[in-house]
Parts: sequence; structure tokens; C-alpha cells
Amino acid sequence: MDSKTDNVCEEQVYNALFKANSKTIFNYIYYKFGNEEKAYDAVQEAFIKLWENCSKVTPHKAKAYVSTIANNLYLNVIKAEKVRLKYADKTLVISNESPEYILEEKQFHEKLEKALADLPENQRTTFLLNRIDGKKYAEIAEMENVSVKAIEKRMHLALKTLREKIEGI
Amino acid sequence: MQENYLAKWLNNELTKEELEVFKNTDEYASYKKIADASSKLQAPTFDIDKALKDSIANRPASKDIKVIRLNPLKKLLRIAAVILVLVTGSYFYYNSLDETTKTDLAENKSLVLPDASTVFLNADSKLSFNKNNWDDNRKVSLNGEAYFKVAKGKKFTVETSEGLVTVLGTQFNVENRKGFFEVTCYEGLVSVTHKNKTIKLPGGNSFLVINNEIIATEAPNTSAPSWITNESTFKSIPMLYVIQEFERQYNITVDTKNIDTNILYTGTFTNKNIELALKSICLPNQIKFKLEKNKVLLYAENAP
Repeated sequence: MDSKTDNVCEEQVYNALFKANSKTIFNYIYYKFGNEEKAYDAVQEAFIKLWENCSKVTPHKAKAYVSTIANNLYLNVIKAEKVRLKYADKTLVISNESPEYILEEKQFHEKLEKALADLPENQRTTFLLNRIDGKKYAEIAEMENVSVKAIEKRMHLALKTLREKIEGI
Repeated sequence: MQENYLAKWLNNELTKEELEVFKNTDEYASYKKIADASSKLQAPTFDIDKALKDSIANRPASKDIKVIRLNPLKKLLRIAAVILVLVTGSYFYYNSLDETTKTDLAENKSLVLPDASTVFLNADSKLSFNKNNWDDNRKVSLNGEAYFKVAKGKKFTVETSEGLVTVLGTQFNVENRKGFFEVTCYEGLVSVTHKNKTIKLPGGNSFLVINNEIIATEAPNTSAPSWITNESTFKSIPMLYVIQEFERQYNITVDTKNIDTNILYTGTFTNKNIELALKSICLPNQIKFKLEKNKVLLYAENAP
């Protein structure tokens, strides 16, 4: 990287960082608190802070920086609401499956959604960032400011808890 | 199976053998289903371009303005903090200092102490005390001559270069001049400590030290020192100290010629009329005087 692209104050660098990370930040806050409006505000707030401090933050630190700010913004302030997620499986809509199978799938989805909403906030956030956004464990660890091992632990516990909840163990 | 194997499995980190074992467990099917189903979930829609536009529109007008606006206030606060520290510091410092009262030559003053005790300060004297813990420690330092009317209470101490005078509540006079130390008690009981020796002085008694020599004196027959009524009274006091007192009362210099200043003088001179005072001193001893503007010359009558 040359010195020009090394500066977050450069409009192009900033825009690129915004496009690459804003969706992740939005989802990250949404998975935490289940509130779309707050998640959108968090993205705005975090990136304004990044712009104000653009001379002090290097581009490769920018992602961790904005996720920390977005996270701190609502720390202890808002209570988690129910996280509502859409089902993206198109096959479900146009399938030729039997009505029993469709009903079963629908019930399973409802159980999964409830189980996700009941997960501890940090397990849910980590799990969904990996499953939906395809984030690597190392990437999530950077955003949450914890070790990769801690993220693995959260993933393991999240999946274990989800199965227990869904199967009613 | 290794630690956090579910996380390892999702990340394709299990070994072939481990994966075989895991696939043969009863839970595998439900884990697989949850993992697949959760990856098909979708977060709410998020319009990146719109958000970026909003972000640029929301930028503060200029970063510099903010800096300039905040700086003077910060500086001002710093100065204010320093001033506050200095003011409170000096307030406590001055409060802890002793209070001092001084009289010049030919000047008398009276002052009231915090416990309503009264002090009359004769000419060319200095009295200081600390009013901070006055109630527990009634102590004054004296250099010169003062008459005390002490209110009843705890021990009252007068500190002088010659010794300590301690009382409980009484009226007494302390005179501490160069080579001359006299305590006269008019009422009550005074304790005088002089050169590690303590003497109890009941009302109507005097304690006199001239040039480190304790001199027996007669009891005064007045209820207060005569200087309170603007007269200076002496009973068998060397002429040297009489002249010094005269100098203090009239702020004047006295020269002597052919006179023995060790002769004892008994008598009184007024502090109000210099000519009359000079006559009071000189006539009984056959001394002549010549009064000039700021100077008096005393000389023997039969001098050549």
C-alpha cells in the first residue's frame, strides 16, 4: 500500500472501508440487540467517529475500531429485543415437498428463531456472524476484542444450546 | 473428541477420524440441520449506498472549528484551577500565621484577645499570638512592656526572652527590655519562670531582674501600673533604665555628660509634658538638661 491509500482521511479509502464493513457492523449490532433502527444509528455513529479520528486510525485497524465504538454505544443502554431473521431458503417457497414436510420445516424454523433469541447475546452474535455473514473466527475475535479460542468456545456452546433447546432436552 | 469440537467441525478443522466418529453420533443429524438452517437465515436489509450517503451528510462541518472552540475554555479552566489552589492555599496559610500588634516610640495601644482578656501595650513593644487554637492554648509572645487583664479560664502564658509568666486569671504587668525584666502582679497569683526557676507571685508583689540579678523590690501600692495613666514610676531603679524609658515615651535621644547612670532613681515622670518630665528626673539628682529639637543633653550641674 502506498502512503496515499494508507490514510483513512482519503475519501476513497474511507468509502471503501465503509462499503466493506458497514453491513457487518449493522448485522453485528442487530444480532446483539435485535433493533434495526439502533443498528443503523450505530453504523452512522461509528463511521462518523472514524472520520473524525481518521488521522489516528490506520485502515487495517479501522474495522476493529468501528465495531468497538458501535458496541460501546449501546453498552448497558438498550435491552436486547427479539432477533427476527428471515428464511432465505428459496426452495422452501417453490418446492414440491409434501405439506407435512413444509409444516415441519416451518415449525423447525420457529423453534430455531426462538432458541437463537434465547441465547446469551455474545454467543448469538458470534454464531450468526459466522453462519450468516460467513465471518472467520479470527475476524469475529478482532471485532469482539477477544481471543480466537474464546470465539470457538462461544460457537461450540451456541450450537450445543441450540440443539438442546430445539429438541427440548 | 477435542475441545470445542462443534466449532472445529463448523470450521472444517476436525481430522478424518474425528469426523467419522462425530458423524456416527446420534446428535450429528440435528447439528447438521441447525448449521445448515442457520446459514440460510438473513439479517434485515441494509442499503450500503444510502448509509454511506447519510454518513457523508452527517459529517461535522469542520473538524478544525471544534478544536479552536474548545481550547480557550480549557486554558481558562486551567488558569482558574491554579488561581483557586493559590487562593485557598494562601487563605489557610495566613490563617495559621500569628497576629502581631506593635507600638512605636511614644505610642500606647490596647487590644482585646479572643477570650476578652485585655492587653495594654506600652511604647516600643510587640505582642503576638495565634488565634487559631486560642481556647486550648492561651499564649502570647511579648517584647517590651504590657499590662494584662486576663479573663478567667485555662492557663495563660506570656512568653518573653527572659522567662515565662503563667497565670490563670488576674491583672499583671510584664516589662521585658534589654537587661531589664520586671513582673508586677496586681491581683490574683502569677507564676514566673526565670532561668529554670519558678517563683509564685501573689497580688501586690513584683519580681525584678536587672542585668541577670534578681533585685528585691517593695510591693506596689497601686491597682494598675502608672503608665496606664500616662506616668512612669520608678522605685530604686538605675538611672540608665529611667533614661531609656524616657526616650521611649517621648521618641527622643538622650545624651549624658559627667553623669553616673547607675545611681538609683525613685520617682515619677509624666508621659505627656516633656519639660515637666525632665524636671522630675533632673531636679532631685542635681542634674541640668538642655532640650533641643530631637535631642536632650543631661549634664552635671558642677561640670566645667
